[in-house]
Amino acid sequence: MNDRAHRDTIFVEECEILAHEAHPGAQHILRIRAPRIAAHARAGSFAHLQCDPLLPMRRPLSIMRVDAQAGWVDFLYKAVGEGTRLLARRGTGETLSVMGPIGTPFSPDPARPRTLLIGGGVGIPPMLFLAEELKRRGAPWAPFVIMGSEVPFPFQARPSRMLVPGVPEGVIAAMPLLEDWGVPSRLASRQGYPGCFEGYVTDLARAWLEALEPARREEVAVFSCGPHPMLEAAARLAREYDLPCQVSLEEFMACAVGGCAGCAVEIRTDAGPAMKRVCVDGPVFDARQVFGA
Amino acid sequence: MTAEQRSLLALDFCGLALSSPIALLSGCVGFGEEYTRVAGFSNADVGAVCLKGTTLEPRLGNAPHRVYETPAGMLNAIGLQNPGARHVVEKILPTLDFSETRFIANISGSTVEEYEEVARIFDDSPIDAIEINISCPNVKAGGVAFGNDPEMSARVVEVCRRATGKPLITKLSPNQTDIAHNARRCIEAGTDAFAVINTLMGMAIDIESRTPILGNRQGGLSGPAIKPVALLKVHQVHQVCRDHGIPIIGQGGITTAEDALEFIIAGATAIGVGTALFYDPLVCAKINAGIAAYLQRHGMGTVEQLVGTLVTERPATQCTS
Repeated sequence: MNDRAHRDTIFVEECEILAHEAHPGAQHILRIRAPRIAAHARAGSFAHLQCDPLLPMRRPLSIMRVDAQAGWVDFLYKAVGEGTRLLARRGTGETLSVMGPIGTPFSPDPARPRTLLIGGGVGIPPMLFLAEELKRRGAPWAPFVIMGSEVPFPFQARPSRMLVPGVPEGVIAAMPLLEDWGVPSRLASRQGYPGCFEGYVTDLARAWLEALEPARREEVAVFSCGPHPMLEAAARLAREYDLPCQVSLEEFMACAVGGCAGCAVEIRTDAGPAMKRVCVDGPVFDARQVFGA
Repeated sequence: MTAEQRSLLALDFCGLALSSPIALLSGCVGFGEEYTRVAGFSNADVGAVCLKGTTLEPRLGNAPHRVYETPAGMLNAIGLQNPGARHVVEKILPTLDFSETRFIANISGSTVEEYEEVARIFDDSPIDAIEINISCPNVKAGGVAFGNDPEMSARVVEVCRRATGKPLITKLSPNQTDIAHNARRCIEAGTDAFAVINTLMGMAIDIESRTPILGNRQGGLSGPAIKPVALLKVHQVHQVCRDHGIPIIGQGGITTAEDALEFIIAGATAIGVGTALFYDPLVCAKINAGIAAYLQRHGMGTVEQLVGTLVTERPATQCTS
């Protein structure tokens, strides 16, 4: 922190709720007006929201999409605890205090433009953000997105028009938004949803990797966000194919600016174990630091 | 805020000129620069910043989870994660802007000797004052917190007093029988000031897995939930301090200017803000403005005029049943 570059990089905005949709499985998509956050957020950034004036703490939510021009920010969250349940009750037109953008974002390597994005459940948002960022950058970036969910996806899946080698026959369900962007995607679930891959996201990822020629495989990097066991499986898969892998972690959080060390997790470094703050040192970490090389 | 309002807030604390009665509390603001990430936040809005608890050797701290929200508050069990006193003095203090505010070290130890050595390391540094966190477990006394026992507390203060000429602030624990007696012993041992109070110990359980939520099993409760407890402790410690001219940083659940004013009236010269920042990182400017407006409304020239002005002519109701 010798220089002052870190200063004034997180904004506190009073944000109007522009839209707040409920989806099956207690999932909610929230759109707020937050021009400064939208202008500075990167794929992997999160925001810290006041869910309700009655709660003493904010809640961290991954950013799913931003529109810097229009000044809005989208979140997808699941109402699982008191904070998110209270947030789910807030309606269009109400205001929320939101801090952001926060955190070290994903850093795709131009030497590996074949980016494999694996998102599970409420880990989907940062993957969508990264896909949109890479789509905007254009060639040679070539993202492929795999999303998994054990509750209905918070969007109407549609049959993909894009052929993806290695994807088993009949696995055609894709996310419409990604289709519209020209980014191939496939959905996985063990719930038997039509067109979805029946199994784990990492099994589908393996099928895709297997179909790649070795020279192409060397251009792959893996990015993942989702439940811890899924991240561990993604990291294992990446290790097996000798691919770099970045994962986005979650932890209970208090300040979200690096002040309290409440969200620290154990990370492996060359100098031995270290405790790193998910909020500002992460949330994105090299998978080898989290799960071992 | 106007220049006139600013001048109302300035005060002297153990010889340190503070621009505002607000001190940011140890453990909430890292090593002083973390909150400056937030646009609109400035260390210049507060009188002092208490740095993260520091021990002699680096510590990794506790396993997750380390924080958990509870009704009107939160539990924390960070476990004194810090890079060690020498690193703080050599690598971190030179990066701080001492023109913005006063920086106070917060020192911890597992033994009396460790406290003494950490105090000595900070004595030879530009730090403005040293706060002693006496709530650490004493490894030579079966892990009982130094601060829970007046004699052990005084012993820690005594060795730190020997190690430094800088202002010494002793952070008192509410987890003890007689805080006033402890304060008296710490004054005798040479403390210049008190911070009242540290967190109250608490716990939370996940009923599905039947496991403690915090990695450390227990943690410190902070936030509005502890405010009434903290206020009473400040009042009690002030009874001991006022005749000795020993100032107090009153802290525990302060989130508004009104909360801060209650603590000042109870006897706090400065007031600590910690957990409230997590909800509103820009809260300090609001507290400053609220205190200044109150002082103007009551025709007071400085915040120091309000300290310990609790009116107690009306006798406390006696229990008759």
